[in-house]
Amino acid sequence: MGIRKEIASSLVLILCGAFFLLYDTRYPLDQWANPGPGVFPLLAGGIWVILAASEFIRAFRKTGSLTEEERSKEKIRFLREILQRNTGERKVLLMIAVFIIYLSMVKLVGFFTSTFLFVIVSSRLMGAKDWKGPVTLAAGTNLFCYLLFEVWLKLSFSRGILF
Amino acid sequence: MADRTILSFLLIAFQPANLLACFAGAVVGTLVGVLPGLGPAAVMALVIPLTLKLGPTAGLIMLAGIYYGSMYGGSTTSILVNVPGEPASVVTTLDGYAMAKKGRAGAALAIAAIGSFVAGTVSVIALQFFAPLLARSALAFGPAEYFVLTVLGVILLSNLTGKSRVKSLIMIMVGLMLSTIGFDPVGGVERFSFGFESVQGGISFIALTTGLFGVAEVFSVMAEKEKPMGLFPVRFRELYPDREELKRSLAPMARGSVLGFLIGLLPGPAATMAAFASYSLERRLSKRRDQFGKGAIEGVAGPESANNAAAGGAMVPLLSLGLPFTPTTAVLLGGMLLHGVTPGPFLLRDRPELFWGVIGSFYLGNAMLLILNLPLVGIFAKIVRVAPRYLMPIVLVLCVIGAYGDNLNLFDVWVMFGAGVTGYLMRKYGYEPAPLVIGLVLGPVMERSLRQALIISQGNLSGLWDSTLCQVMWFIVLLSAILPFITHYLRRSAASVSKKAN
Repeated sequence: MGIRKEIASSLVLILCGAFFLLYDTRYPLDQWANPGPGVFPLLAGGIWVILAASEFIRAFRKTGSLTEEERSKEKIRFLREILQRNTGERKVLLMIAVFIIYLSMVKLVGFFTSTFLFVIVSSRLMGAKDWKGPVTLAAGTNLFCYLLFEVWLKLSFSRGILF
Repeated sequence: MADRTILSFLLIAFQPANLLACFAGAVVGTLVGVLPGLGPAAVMALVIPLTLKLGPTAGLIMLAGIYYGSMYGGSTTSILVNVPGEPASVVTTLDGYAMAKKGRAGAALAIAAIGSFVAGTVSVIALQFFAPLLARSALAFGPAEYFVLTVLGVILLSNLTGKSRVKSLIMIMVGLMLSTIGFDPVGGVERFSFGFESVQGGISFIALTTGLFGVAEVFSVMAEKEKPMGLFPVRFRELYPDREELKRSLAPMARGSVLGFLIGLLPGPAATMAAFASYSLERRLSKRRDQFGKGAIEGVAGPESANNAAAGGAMVPLLSLGLPFTPTTAVLLGGMLLHGVTPGPFLLRDRPELFWGVIGSFYLGNAMLLILNLPLVGIFAKIVRVAPRYLMPIVLVLCVIGAYGDNLNLFDVWVMFGAGVTGYLMRKYGYEPAPLVIGLVLGPVMERSLRQALIISQGNLSGLWDSTLCQVMWFIVLLSAILPFITHYLRRSAASVSKKAN
């Protein structure tokens, strides 16, 4: 993994840990004889931030020790990594968007209708060339979910406005 | 406990519902092992909501079946397609695939299945003796001892993924922090719920694990390029190793079983470590060292036995101490807790029927897997050809149902989605989700025991190391924390000495 990624990830972790620590100040610490609800999160959050900071410092030191040539190589490597991975990552981003739409639709149009559409779209997104396969898969998945979860396990799914 | 009672508890596994659960677990586990990219931890997290309907014994038998079944299935694709279904089967590709190219795929598969059966059975026998022994000694544990034990677990498990220790420790801390969401285990104060009613009882374990393992895995598969796979055909009559192959495999199977079980007792990616350790041991001991990598049967028999035995070994700390030493056993522990079963020293005393029932199912499951894996190997091998474009949408839908079915709450589905995206980013940035799950399950025990120990000692911190047991464990904690730095320093100085000498 590149140094830039190391720095970025440790920074995000420091921020998240610091946020939890700040939020923890709402809970009392009380005394050692009867520790309050804030003690354990304080310890866990404190160690989290310290470790993330040590990762940040370690990565930052690495950049300092690089020569000019190594630095430019690192930049090229970073860019190449972004370009190479972009093809797959675009798919992932699209899938995340489709997933968000699917989850938002469940309450509105119902679980089975939205699942039917989601399976078709996601299957196409993953590389299915035709429509027959994804549609059959979607129908089969719906039937399986209905029989197993709703009929046998008595799970109740949202029906939405259509049914 | 009388042996007769233990036997009657072991026979619980033969009850029809448990038998069916064991069979279903073994089949699903084999499929998980066969399919590359889909790990047992992800599938177990998906199946937990289903098992809740089966009751604790049948449910846990099914989950355990998935766990050891995946070890069996992993070898199939390693041998036939040169694609390991599981990381633990990576080493099997070296000689297994080479054997397949020589037309001995059937023999390699049969030896892998027989080795897995032998090792699985050996490890269950050892588990049957070791787990109660450890559990009985752990009955002397008070809150202080439990606290030190969890600290020891955190230190030892920081090497869980075999990658960066600091990153693993950070993830464990994130998991510990997430475990504090909801009501605190001593005073009942609501923490970190950020005004959401749905997280007042804590963050849903199923939602989090299905997201971190299931959804994140689908995203990771999507980001990779799909590779076409060739497949060696195997006929049933070819599934017989000849006498020479069988003779050469016996000693590696025995060595792999013992080595695998012992490595399984240690924290870390035990099954993978065991397979590699067994391979290098067999290579060192073999008279046909030159054949390794070109189709040596010992290179299949040893590692396949070792990774199965490691799966059994990893159950010892889980069942007797309540400590998961591998990502999969961490999910299994989560499943147990959701079934209202607390693994640890009291499990054997309070729920002997469940403890022995699950162990009994291991014997049964191993036999089932042998019967399943030999004749059905061709079918299992063809499943690997199921393209991700058909498999992954189903996995995503099952993740949604798994997260929703836990509390019939759409909020948990969004938590799962968030965990999925986070899990994908974590993997990309070199952070593994497994230590986070370990922190999540260890958190409540750690917090409760720390606070109880401090209340008992009236705030005196020495209460945490007063007993001899605590002192011994603190010493091990210290040693485990320092040892990696010492070995690192020694390695560096040895390297610099050899550099100077050159």
